[in-house]
Amino acid sequence: MGAAKASRDIAGMGRGAMLRLENVGMRFGAGPEVLRDVTFMLEAGSFTFLTGPSGSGKTTLLRLMYLAEPPTRGLITLFGCDLATTKRSKFPALRRRIGVVFQDFRLLDHLSAFDNVALPLRLAGKRLDHYGHDVEELLDWVGLGTKLDAKPPTLSGGEQQRIAIARAVVARPDLLLADEPTGNVDPDIAQRLVRLFEELNRLGTTVLIATHDRSLLELTQAREMRLVDGRLVEMRMPRT
Amino acid sequence: MSAQRPERIMPRWEGAAPLDVVIGVMGFLAALALCASLVAERTAAGWRAGLADGFTVQILPHEGDGSALQSETTSVLAALRGTEGLSRVKVVSDAEAAALIAPWLGEGTALADLPLPRLVDASIAPGATIDLARLAQRLKQAAPDSQLDDHGLWLARLKRTADTVIWSAWAVLALIALATAATVTFATRAGLAAHKDVVSLLHQMGAHAGFIAHAFERHYFVSALIASATGAALAAGVFAAANGLEGAGIEPVPFLPPLGLGAFELAWIITVPAVAGLIALATARLSVLAALARNY
Repeated sequence: MGAAKASRDIAGMGRGAMLRLENVGMRFGAGPEVLRDVTFMLEAGSFTFLTGPSGSGKTTLLRLMYLAEPPTRGLITLFGCDLATTKRSKFPALRRRIGVVFQDFRLLDHLSAFDNVALPLRLAGKRLDHYGHDVEELLDWVGLGTKLDAKPPTLSGGEQQRIAIARAVVARPDLLLADEPTGNVDPDIAQRLVRLFEELNRLGTTVLIATHDRSLLELTQAREMRLVDGRLVEMRMPRT
Repeated sequence: MSAQRPERIMPRWEGAAPLDVVIGVMGFLAALALCASLVAERTAAGWRAGLADGFTVQILPHEGDGSALQSETTSVLAALRGTEGLSRVKVVSDAEAAALIAPWLGEGTALADLPLPRLVDASIAPGATIDLARLAQRLKQAAPDSQLDDHGLWLARLKRTADTVIWSAWAVLALIALATAATVTFATRAGLAAHKDVVSLLHQMGAHAGFIAHAFERHYFVSALIASATGAALAAGVFAAANGLEGAGIEPVPFLPPLGLGAFELAWIITVPAVAGLIALATARLSVLAALARNY
């Protein structure tokens, strides 16, 4: 399927846009465009995989989606707000509605696993006696119930990744963006994590997972958007 | 539950330790300047009070005519004693006059050989108001060679000197405040660079700039408060030591007025760490907000 057709099809899907990109392009400095004419929409409550080979622009696209930087061109509409015209002072509130699993985890080394996971709740102004139990339960669910006080540098890559995922989902965000969330865990844990994402999705969170691990796509019925050389080139609709 | 109290989001930055030393020294210097201004103010006030409630009349001598000097002195005394509002009128004796000029001419000077004016010292009763210009006129009529000195010239010079000391101290305080703010700005920027990952993550997770700034300002406020309080306490110690020496009859610094501070004046030193803490807090906050404003 051609890129333009794929973009039109995806953009035309469903109603209730959580996120919409229209003709988005991105380049760094005077370099070539790493994203070109990207157009798609994430429906509220959808579950989507973003696939593509390394270097295809998945992480850059995610960065635009979680407001790490503005696109060079094109329009992004998030939660109904056109980012080009939305005041910067509104961005923190938009960002708090997004849970992000970063490819490099970005855990705070001086905080325990518990405090790392609790961070979004603290930023939302919640108190320890309100969130403590939820955080413990979530860490238990991802298999780290015995390592609440462990600092990230003392944990394995897989354990750190699970903390990063727990942190992204703990506040039940409206939109979850995960960049290679199962890259460092064994298949059993990967399945468990995908189930966690599905559970969150059932509760109403829109989920987008960027991955180059195609085996993940077999674990759940989700549509696929594929990026190659900065263009959305094909899509797969969820099986019915 | 994992912890009774959530850990600090912003880790303590060990690289900020030199800042504590700088602010401690600033606090010490600021407290010294503040105390100097207080000593100057108190000394000037004491001198003003001592001089402003009296005046001196001098009767100039006629060469070779001692009887005229005596006659004019009598007239001046009569005029002064007839003036309401004076509590004391006294002719300065030869011995007192000799004591006054002894520092310049030496002990044992024969006053009789010198054409010295006769001095009459007068004190104004507390609360009384006297029109000194009119009194000078009346004295001139009674004794043409008399001159009334209300110490105005001396008082004006004294005031200028005290004002200079006080304003200099305030200028020093302003410079110290500026230097403190600049130092904290520099340290905050360094702190932001050191915690770039933490700040970036918090920003990305939707923390308001104010939330991030609060994590920084609290650190710099507490550091500046403790460091400047230590510096100010050292300065208070210096003045307390001077007070102790003066109490023991030892003049720690010749020619300077008494350096000992009273309890009320020492209490002013508390303002040094308070102001330093507030300067650090405001500076850190503004620096962080300015840096975050450049982010997307």
